[in-house]
Amino acid sequence: MLRDIGVVYRKEMLEVVRDRKTLVFMIVLPLLLMPVLMQLVTDYMRKTEQKAQTETIAYVLVGAEQLPALGEAFAQAPGFEAKRATDVSALAEAIEAEELDLGLVVVPPPEPGGQLEIEMHYDNASTTSKVKARAMAVIEEVEASVRRQRLGEVGIDEPETQAAVLEPMVVVERGTASSRERIGELFGGILPYFLIPFCFLGALYPAIDLGAGEKERGTLETLLLSPLPRSSMVLGKFLVIFTTGVVAATLVVAGLGTWLAFKSSDMGGVFGEIVSAIGPLDLTLIAMMLLPTTAMMSALLLSISIYAKSFKEAQSYATPLNLLIVLPVMFAMLPGVELDWTWAMVPVTNVALAIKELVKGTVDYQMLSVILVSSTAVAAALLWAAIRWFNQEAVLFRQ
Amino acid sequence: MLEVRNLSKSFRLPKPKRGAPKPASVDPREDGRWFHAVRDVSFQAEDGKILGLLGPNGAGKTTLLRVLSTALTPTEGTASFGGVDIVREPKEVRRRLGFLSGNTGLYGRLDVDEMLRYFARLHGMTAADADRRIATLSETLDLGTFLTRRCDALSAGMKQRVSIARTLVHDPDIIIFDEPTTGLDVAAAEAILRLIERCREQGKTVVVSTHHMNEVERVCDAVVVIHQGRLRFSGSIAQMREEGGHQALDQAFLKLVDYKATGVSDAA
Repeated sequence: MLRDIGVVYRKEMLEVVRDRKTLVFMIVLPLLLMPVLMQLVTDYMRKTEQKAQTETIAYVLVGAEQLPALGEAFAQAPGFEAKRATDVSALAEAIEAEELDLGLVVVPPPEPGGQLEIEMHYDNASTTSKVKARAMAVIEEVEASVRRQRLGEVGIDEPETQAAVLEPMVVVERGTASSRERIGELFGGILPYFLIPFCFLGALYPAIDLGAGEKERGTLETLLLSPLPRSSMVLGKFLVIFTTGVVAATLVVAGLGTWLAFKSSDMGGVFGEIVSAIGPLDLTLIAMMLLPTTAMMSALLLSISIYAKSFKEAQSYATPLNLLIVLPVMFAMLPGVELDWTWAMVPVTNVALAIKELVKGTVDYQMLSVILVSSTAVAAALLWAAIRWFNQEAVLFRQ
Repeated sequence: MLEVRNLSKSFRLPKPKRGAPKPASVDPREDGRWFHAVRDVSFQAEDGKILGLLGPNGAGKTTLLRVLSTALTPTEGTASFGGVDIVREPKEVRRRLGFLSGNTGLYGRLDVDEMLRYFARLHGMTAADADRRIATLSETLDLGTFLTRRCDALSAGMKQRVSIARTLVHDPDIIIFDEPTTGLDVAAAEAILRLIERCREQGKTVVVSTHHMNEVERVCDAVVVIHQGRLRFSGSIAQMREEGGHQALDQAFLKLVDYKATGVSDAA
């Protein structure tokens, strides 16, 4: 039987590596997509952040006479450029027309010495804008100065006493979770979004080609008329699809790993620490988790492909499967969903949770074996169904 | 020797769509939810003889050949090749059988040599046996000039020759040709007819399904005619002429399948 499977596997693999489309999905895209995507995103974010921090903010201060210190502070703060005072009612229009970035209006207190109100007009729809943060830094400095002055007026001069009056209690956080755990919760949750779909994408095209594609080209019938057991044919084809899925997923990890290796020193900080803390054992375990997941998808895609009459029909059946992959991964991101005995039995979600735990460094190794066993069982059942499918003439010669 | 005994093949029809209009005429082979593609067909083909399988389009020829090739399982009845039953021992039948259909394709991304070796391996041949066999077929079918060319870069005639080599690579005892000359030019068709005759000389059992009566007259020793899934005639070409009441084989065939001219008016 192994010889028979080998014969089919070698031939199908040869065809796969000679197919440009499959090579793109299996090697080029997984290897390059992540580094290119990550580089583009980080470059864009860095540039946007830099721009927001350094660009000159055009501002107008109305009612400066109420608080002369504020006018002076903005005049001296770097990166702020005062514009000719305008009517308060025209501020929003000027900001919308991008003639102005910030409008400050000091509203006089109802009684002398009372609380001043400062209206801040700015475009709060922009998520990258630093106008508010930069303006607040200047205002808070002035506010602290006014506060100290007012405390001094009532006889509280000592800075320590002033601090005790202003902040009688200070909470110092002492979280027990390590920084790897905290940042890993987010990074480890995102990682399966890239890894698991690529197991699917890598397997998708060869799966369609090896089943429906063969039907369409008229080569399946010649294969069926050979004396090879049908189970050997399915297993040979399945192993090719599985290989392409695993290669794609491995190359995604390799691409991401290479990018991180070059960039983690630039990143520094906690994220850099986490990246360097993920060791070869963690990466091996992540890869091991992906194996039964890829096997499941390969068996499922092969069944669909065998059932479909044409390449196009197989594509239309396989595309909605994307949701079947993404939804269980999304479950793993939901608050309160943790890797336990129940979730360890849920295909795909269990692997996404395990990857998260591995990145966080909090994995229960016993749970990993449960996931491996349950996922392998599901993959075996799906493969068995594919073999049965391949033995039904109503499926093979569907009209 | 091929022996077909009361062979039938039926397919379950899909449920009609709700609200779909009823067809003006119903195929007589439809029976409720079943479609009887082949019904109670029996005939024989002898070793060293060529049997022609004739029938109009949709008569059930391809279904019958697919059943004989073990791709489909008969609903009733059976057939045997040299005493090997297609239902009980399909694997053994596949070992002995070569099947060439006009619909079968080639693996476009393999070259001719790789593809022939693949099919040799599928039939359990050793590398040395495959070498010898491919060399023989290459000479017979004149494949030498394009043996290392990818199948997707071949002309229609070349593809057909490769398909024949693929069918014969394991040196089968029984060969089924399903419309082997369809779409080929005169030279390519002639080469195939010669090859079919050569198979007869080698003592193989050959079944040829075709629409070309000149080919039937030239190569076939016996003829089977099926129409609407049923056997209409089985015998020699002379008997077919006699039963069809015409010396011209195409006219005799039309008589056997109750042909009535439709769709073309006399005025036209």
